[in-house]
Amino acid sequence: MRTVGFATCVGLSLLPLLGLSAPALAQADCKSVVAPSPFGPDDQTGATNRVTPQVTKAAAAEIQTGVVTPMANNLVDGVPLFGTRFTKTILTAVSTMPGAEYGKNKLSYMEDTYLSQSHVGTHIDGMGHIGIQDCYYNQTPMGKYVTQNYLKRLGIENMKSFATRGVIIDAVKVFQAAGKLKPNAACKNPCLDAGTVITEADLQAGLKMYNVTLREADAVFINTGWGDLFQQFPAQNATYNGGEPGISKSAATWLATQKVIVVGADTWAVEVIPGEDTTEAFPVHKTLLTDNGIHIIENARTDLIAAKAAQDNRATFFLNMTVPKAVGATGTFINIEAIQ
Amino acid sequence: MALRRRSLLACLIVAGLGPARAGQRRFRIAFANLDETPGVTLEGLGFTGIEMRRSFELAARTLPVDMLYFDNAGNPERAVANAQAAIAARVDLLIEYNADAEANATIGRLLATAGIPALALIDPLPGAPLYGPDNRAAGRIAGDALGAFAQETWPGEQVQGVLIGDVAGPGVAVAERVQGITDGIRQSLPTLQFTTLDTGGQPMRADALLTKVLLTQRGGRLLIATLDDLAAIYARNAVEMQRRQSDCIIVSQGLDHSIHGGASEKKEIDPNNRGSVLLGSVAYYMDRYGYEVLPLAMRLLAGEVLPPRTMTKHVLVTAANVFREYPPFDMN
Repeated sequence: MRTVGFATCVGLSLLPLLGLSAPALAQADCKSVVAPSPFGPDDQTGATNRVTPQVTKAAAAEIQTGVVTPMANNLVDGVPLFGTRFTKTILTAVSTMPGAEYGKNKLSYMEDTYLSQSHVGTHIDGMGHIGIQDCYYNQTPMGKYVTQNYLKRLGIENMKSFATRGVIIDAVKVFQAAGKLKPNAACKNPCLDAGTVITEADLQAGLKMYNVTLREADAVFINTGWGDLFQQFPAQNATYNGGEPGISKSAATWLATQKVIVVGADTWAVEVIPGEDTTEAFPVHKTLLTDNGIHIIENARTDLIAAKAAQDNRATFFLNMTVPKAVGATGTFINIEAIQ
Repeated sequence: MALRRRSLLACLIVAGLGPARAGQRRFRIAFANLDETPGVTLEGLGFTGIEMRRSFELAARTLPVDMLYFDNAGNPERAVANAQAAIAARVDLLIEYNADAEANATIGRLLATAGIPALALIDPLPGAPLYGPDNRAAGRIAGDALGAFAQETWPGEQVQGVLIGDVAGPGVAVAERVQGITDGIRQSLPTLQFTTLDTGGQPMRADALLTKVLLTQRGGRLLIATLDDLAAIYARNAVEMQRRQSDCIIVSQGLDHSIHGGASEKKEIDPNNRGSVLLGSVAYYMDRYGYEVLPLAMRLLAGEVLPPRTMTKHVLVTAANVFREYPPFDMN
């Protein structure tokens, strides 16, 4: 069984080279591997199905002062990246050269080329990002839908609106209050150390701290303080990438039962690393994305909204975030704002 | 008195008030490690005491336990003193990793007097269940793999065995591994002759030692078993420098972090390095002992009688299964 899974993975990566069609290598029975979607057998959208007009209208009530708090990090060379990922911009500024201007009004212009993978910086994971063997969200046998350039199913163009209520859970405050904060010396501000498990009880304590009850279609963000290291790039990139505090498997399951649409954090994987079971790879990703269609947002900037929550004693906001309609993509970098 | 307290505790746990339930009693468990001195490796393999301790720290996160850590620093007297400190701290259980039999006998007596149960790691402690590697089985896995490789790849050809490692003054563990390796290979190749190359505890010497063999034996095929992963890497260097990749295959013992990495940290045993002359390494998982031993400790605290000896399940890890055995987490 495990050998088949690995062979499938390798096979998929070789498909373009070999000129083979994917279906021949789709070997898993996805109905036994992945849970069915609650949104129907043809759904490719996932949890943003929950963002109804009523949800958005209710979320709009969060806008009381109009104060906007940034929740994304700058996308810039030098931030922590993983594996072989890269991000690089190339500026095209030809028309600014003397004599290259356009017309008698000497118009000039500049453009950029992004040479970047999509899962860099503050970014969202789509339904095509994580699977078990070749089985992805909604029991989709992705081997049938992988091309050299993009996915033919589960691309992020299928996402619906994120115009919903956001909730910040300040895990740093929770751990401080419980007297169990074990910080990392590299953090300039209080942070949970790598490997710290955030349980559902911790999440509930964080909600109780601001008298918040989660409701369907909420977008949940968790402040672990670990993002402090991201902001020290590149000095602390190795420490940042070396592990992280994060939610447990059971906490992810609990969040799924709350019918949230997003779980984000100021970490690179949202889940605790090293994991609770070192023989498993990214189980929270599987629970949220693959089994429940709930998006994950990584490398979010949560310290500012956490500070704002502490200042105003208010942990909810209107989530201002849109996602490019990048057909067949597995994720993308994003900008996020909290409006209160 | 202490025994009565333990019996009551066991009854409570068995009755459903066990450690897995939130809000119930937490246990104090002490782990006295063999040696956490930086650079000191354990059991002739590449794992460090710090790695082993870290595995206990990680495994303890989701268990109802408060851990106390002691470093025996390879010193029997200190091991006894640490055990006394653990007893004074009134721990519920002691996990002892100490190689000195005399000190372990003393520690066993002290614990029995205090009524504190214990688990022994690798080296026996009187009255305590033991957890540790199955050295002979691990060696056998390597030997089987080398023998099978020779039969499949070089059928009917002249093959010689080479054993590389710290073999001059082997302890029982290393001797068992060597026996397992030779038994395994001879299952396939009963008349195979072995050349033993002693690194004297300096794995880098494997390079020069094997180079000499390769220069003097140009015609035959070599099945190379190394007793640690660093020696395997240096042996691979020798094979590659002498351009003898088609004549040699290496299988190692340990699977420590010198030989396998992750998605971004590429090392010798890697899914994208399937053509390596270093076929694989038999995993001892000493960097995961906490995950194996703490559940045993919880069972012991629950009143369960453990078997006298629980052995690590060893696996040959190659490019084909390394990411399944050690899922990389540097890939997000």
